[in-house]
Amino acid sequence: MIRVKDLTKKYGNIHALKGVTIEINDKVTSIIGRNGAGKTTFIRILSTQLKPTSGSVNINGMDIDRDINKIRKIILSIPQEAQPVGIMTPLEHLELYLIARGYSLSEARREGKYALEELEMEEFKDVPCDELSGGMKRKVFVAMALASKVDIVFLDEPTTGLDPLSRMEVWNSIRKLDSNIILTTHYMEEASELSNKVIVFNEGQVVSQGTVRDLLAPFKNKVRVEKTNGEEYDVKIGKLSIKYVPNDRAQEYLSKGYDVKNITLDDLFISRGVTLES
Amino acid sequence: MNLRFILIFSYNYGLKFIKRGPSYLIASLALPLSLLFLIFIISGGRLLPYAIIGGVLSIVTSNAINGAADAAFFRLQIRFQDLFVASPLTKMDYMTALTASYFVFSLPGIILYVSLGFIFHILNLLKLIVLILVIFLITISFTNLAFIIAGLLKHIRNVWGITAILSIIATVLTPTFYPYFIIPKNFLMVLLISPITPASIFLQGYFGLAPYDAISIPILIIETIALMIMGNYFIKWRE
Repeated sequence: MIRVKDLTKKYGNIHALKGVTIEINDKVTSIIGRNGAGKTTFIRILSTQLKPTSGSVNINGMDIDRDINKIRKIILSIPQEAQPVGIMTPLEHLELYLIARGYSLSEARREGKYALEELEMEEFKDVPCDELSGGMKRKVFVAMALASKVDIVFLDEPTTGLDPLSRMEVWNSIRKLDSNIILTTHYMEEASELSNKVIVFNEGQVVSQGTVRDLLAPFKNKVRVEKTNGEEYDVKIGKLSIKYVPNDRAQEYLSKGYDVKNITLDDLFISRGVTLES
Repeated sequence: MNLRFILIFSYNYGLKFIKRGPSYLIASLALPLSLLFLIFIISGGRLLPYAIIGGVLSIVTSNAINGAADAAFFRLQIRFQDLFVASPLTKMDYMTALTASYFVFSLPGIILYVSLGFIFHILNLLKLIVLILVIFLITISFTNLAFIIAGLLKHIRNVWGITAILSIIATVLTPTFYPYFIIPKNFLMVLLISPITPASIFLQGYFGLAPYDAISIPILIIETIALMIMGNYFIKWRE
């Protein structure tokens, strides 16, 4: 259980987090938001990499400042854009990381090999990481999480920059983790694929939270219609006119030259500030 | 202290780096070996001891300074440092592991120059022990300088340029390859800011190449401690 109260973080005059208060207690929680929404700052504070300006964080009953060493024993954080060291192999990474966590060399080797086998990376275990694909490189970190058996894993944008197949490979690997997972992403599809709960950040604040179904409830029986320079719109993004209409009016808008799209988590952002007709 | 981590890190990032990236090893030896050749030719062999002692210090120093690029790359680009911040590893373990890996990476050069030192009768066992102690201090001080540089940077685009400049300043401008007493005292005082200067002054004196200056060792130790304190502060473990 993670309890966050009135958490703020300032970088000079910039308020990256503005008094975030939230409880997180789900198996997989996704934090979504646009670039600069405060997701990474939030996850870096929770994973003890960044000091908050004010507020408190309590992880499994431990305070993030007072009990930092205890907390670091039960968490693991894979930073955004983390890359393995090119000249080292996946198995060497795992051994090194597990030894950093206090494992003996033989334990680290055994658990490292096991995790790589679980993620179907056995044949690459001795290949220097600069020869691996992007997806394989990310899986090295997921293997660390799998082998570490920690209580909480923080994944900051785990699939950014990967092609669709590599993303699916990483998702499958993440699903094998027994730990509670908190991940940030701006791929809405990723959030809905992996999480029980989604927390939406905007401009340093939590603006909504719930299951994917809860969050999309206001869009029930609706579609998104969009057209370049369309005359009717709820939202305009550049030249693109976007409107939310009931399913049964989709045909009407198709005939007006609009494209009709199914609702996704993207619409949480697109529709911000829009009052949806019931 | 997590000694296992320090050993495995220096094995993977020091010893295996030599095997998997030999071009970096050759690059680190290129300048001191070129200077050794030039000094030997120009002085007719007379200044060879300076080239050998200077060479070994130069290899250790430039490898440690190049650590700034690694430390910055690990912190800012591939986020390798952050991985360990959110773990039971301490920043002292991490810093010691990086320092040890640069020392290990310097070993082939040290062995080569020590061999030359024995071949040309510049070294004996006692002098070798003293030389290794100085090499340790130099590695620690310049690796901590590397942590300071890496910690001050907000991005990595200039780090390779900065380390190349510092490496040349630290190893060529200072009295590493030439007798310390031939430069004006005021200039020498300025150069004392770099730990390699007191190290060179001490070794040149201890090896009987120049007047012995007892103050050089305390200066080297104080500078090493100061750099360790600053490195520990600037590494930005928990920002």
